[in-house]
Amino acid sequence: MLTRQISISAPIFLLIFLIQESVITQFRLPGGGFSLLAIFALTWAVLSQTEAAAVIGFSAGFLMDLSQSSSGPFGQWTLIMLLAGYAISYVGYGDDNVHGNAIGTVFFVAIASFFIELAYLISGVLLGVPMPTFGRIVITLIGMTLWALLISPILLPLFTYLHRLIFNSRSII
Amino acid sequence: MRNGGDGRARLLLVILIVTSLFLITLDLRGVKVLGGLTQGTQTVLSPFQRAGSTVLTPVKNFFSDVTRLGRTRTEIQNLKNENAQLKLDLLSRKNADGELEQLKKILDLAGTAGYKVVNARVISQGSSQSFSQTITIDSGTNAGIKRNMTVLSEFGIVGVVKDVYPTSALIQLASDPGFRIGGRIAGTQQIGILSGRGSQNASLQLLDNSTSIVEGDILLARGSISNRPFVPGVPIGYVTGVDNSAGAVAQTATVRYYTNFSTLGVVAVVVSGPTSNPGDALVPQKPRPTPVPTVTIFVTPSPTPSN
Repeated sequence: MLTRQISISAPIFLLIFLIQESVITQFRLPGGGFSLLAIFALTWAVLSQTEAAAVIGFSAGFLMDLSQSSSGPFGQWTLIMLLAGYAISYVGYGDDNVHGNAIGTVFFVAIASFFIELAYLISGVLLGVPMPTFGRIVITLIGMTLWALLISPILLPLFTYLHRLIFNSRSII
Repeated sequence: MRNGGDGRARLLLVILIVTSLFLITLDLRGVKVLGGLTQGTQTVLSPFQRAGSTVLTPVKNFFSDVTRLGRTRTEIQNLKNENAQLKLDLLSRKNADGELEQLKKILDLAGTAGYKVVNARVISQGSSQSFSQTITIDSGTNAGIKRNMTVLSEFGIVGVVKDVYPTSALIQLASDPGFRIGGRIAGTQQIGILSGRGSQNASLQLLDNSTSIVEGDILLARGSISNRPFVPGVPIGYVTGVDNSAGAVAQTATVRYYTNFSTLGVVAVVVSGPTSNPGDALVPQKPRPTPVPTVTIFVTPSPTPSN
């Protein structure tokens, strides 16, 4: 079951990765911009069960590691997104404030965006990845969260529609 | 919150975590198992990035124009009345002209120092999500570009080639927190190490604490062995602040880059360095005030009063 769903959703992940790398990276957006792939994966993780959410996080993280703008060691984003996907699904499972409420989902995704960036930062320090100044870190963390808060509501109907199409769940927002 | 989880989900989670840790370990140990995959991904992506750059350039120009309109509204209004047709032509050629201008200045800079360069267009601005500052250019190994080559703009240093693919290359900008370059102050020849800070400013740490630097001092690249990664003499920036705190082990200063990393359209990669060190030949000249012509009028009073 999960294998079938993964094989169907793989082209969607690749398409979003392509849009991220060839369109969104053309713009030098204030506050560090946003990652469409991360927002997409986090939204799906919110709507999925833990098993699927972990695989979604792993796949998205793997693609994020393939991105040319990834500065850390290969696998860093994979690990963070995998844990984030699992944790989000675990915490939000069975909570109607998250599943049945668009505002709840958007806030959940935005907060998750903040924490994955923070996790990347902390793990980056531990792994010896060079870090910018404190001010730049704060701007990027806040910027990414605000961008997620801005972008998620716009794309939420599409993401939930795709999720329902593939996972045949009733989580339509 | 979910109460507990089934064994299958936990097993899957453990397998995925172990896989991730395995990937990280391999990468940190220098085993480039996925190097080919990364290269292949970039090779596949570069045509899409090039297409995206071409398609989205008018959109970017539009937003750029909107931003500028507020500042030069009066001037634009006057010009619009006089040169409507001319402006239309200019708008359509604005991008090409801007790139040409950048290119000419880069070639002037490279020609003065005797660098052999390969010009390239910027096709993608890297995301800051990973706290890194990078750009992608549309030339790669096919054009003779290799890793660790200096990248220039018309103003000076842009960065260094971090990764190279057949038709594209990834440039680590000088503003990247991981960027380090040896520099020397023009004139006094004091040397130090410059580190990117993720912004337009960088930190300079002088190696000799007995000498001093002042605001306005110009910093040039010292150059590396065999001119890689850095060729000598490239203008980096100018000193905007000096930290003279007592008891400091080494004197530090803030340097502002000459290059504006947000407006990079065309860059040049130095594929071959100069035969001799250009010294201070590339130090940017300070703008000279345009002389205002003075008109002197001599009036000779008439001997007889007029009617």
